[in-house]
Amino acid sequence: MYRKLRLCSNSGAYEAIPDPPIPLDLAAVRRTLERVGIAVVDARVMLLVGTTPEATISRNGRLLFKTRDPAAAEVTFEKLRALLKLPGAAPS
Amino acid sequence: MARGVMLMSGGIDSPVALHYLLRQGHEMIGVHMDNRPFTDDSPLEKVADHLTLLRERYHQPIPVYLVPHGTTQVTLMRNTDRHVGCVLCRRFMWRSAERIAEREGASFLATGEALGQVASQTLSNMRSATIAVRLPVVRPLIGFDKQEIEAVAKSIGTYAISTRPGVCCQAVPDKPATRSNLIQILREEERVDVDQIVDDCIRKATIL
Repeated sequence: MYRKLRLCSNSGAYEAIPDPPIPLDLAAVRRTLERVGIAVVDARVMLLVGTTPEATISRNGRLLFKTRDPAAAEVTFEKLRALLKLPGAAPS
Repeated sequence: MARGVMLMSGGIDSPVALHYLLRQGHEMIGVHMDNRPFTDDSPLEKVADHLTLLRERYHQPIPVYLVPHGTTQVTLMRNTDRHVGCVLCRRFMWRSAERIAEREGASFLATGEALGQVASQTLSNMRSATIAVRLPVVRPLIGFDKQEIEAVAKSIGTYAISTRPGVCCQAVPDKPATRSNLIQILREEERVDVDQIVDDCIRKATIL
């Protein structure tokens, strides 16, 4: 399960952290996202994802959304969660 | 007084280091390594605002080169050991800064590093990073602690800019090496085409 979305340490982005970590096959994640037309840069240990806002997906399941708008981060989180069949976030 | 090239990150330390060098009367040129998409636009905006402030204070033009570094980060992440990623990243920053120094006729490089502050600023990591360049590297803040640097930053007005929200560098590994082995660094670097990477970065650099 993901913890509630929270601001990262520099307060410039929202992050979703799974507890416990969720090992992701980034090659499979990339294929899934590209199939639905989302641009992805594969940096091997993470994916840079061309959603709005932009996101990064790490191998341990951590997602980061480059926005200070919690609602925008939440929308993109839900979109990626559904596409990648990830578990939901803890209730507020 | 000499002409130097200063690495500027948008953080708290580099504008303070630049302030000391400008106060001594050196003619300075900035270099910002643009880490997008591993960060957002905020570091670049902060550097621009730092420079506006310091240009007014010291009546110097302080040109700043914006060097794309995100592609370099992707290449390093794909091909080298993540554990030493910060040192490898720094080596490429220094190489770009040195190329710009050569172009600008500058005789030294400078940075806001202070010993022991973060993973890349241990003595062995600093040595492993700067051994990639020939020009002398000046570190005006090397013996300062964080509180001292912050106090100066507040007094010159750069602190409020540096501490605005921003996305921290996503390329930093979870457990960066704090003690690097130069032989390992050199072996890792053999996995990428160093000259090609630096050539590309410098070709795509722009002046703010």
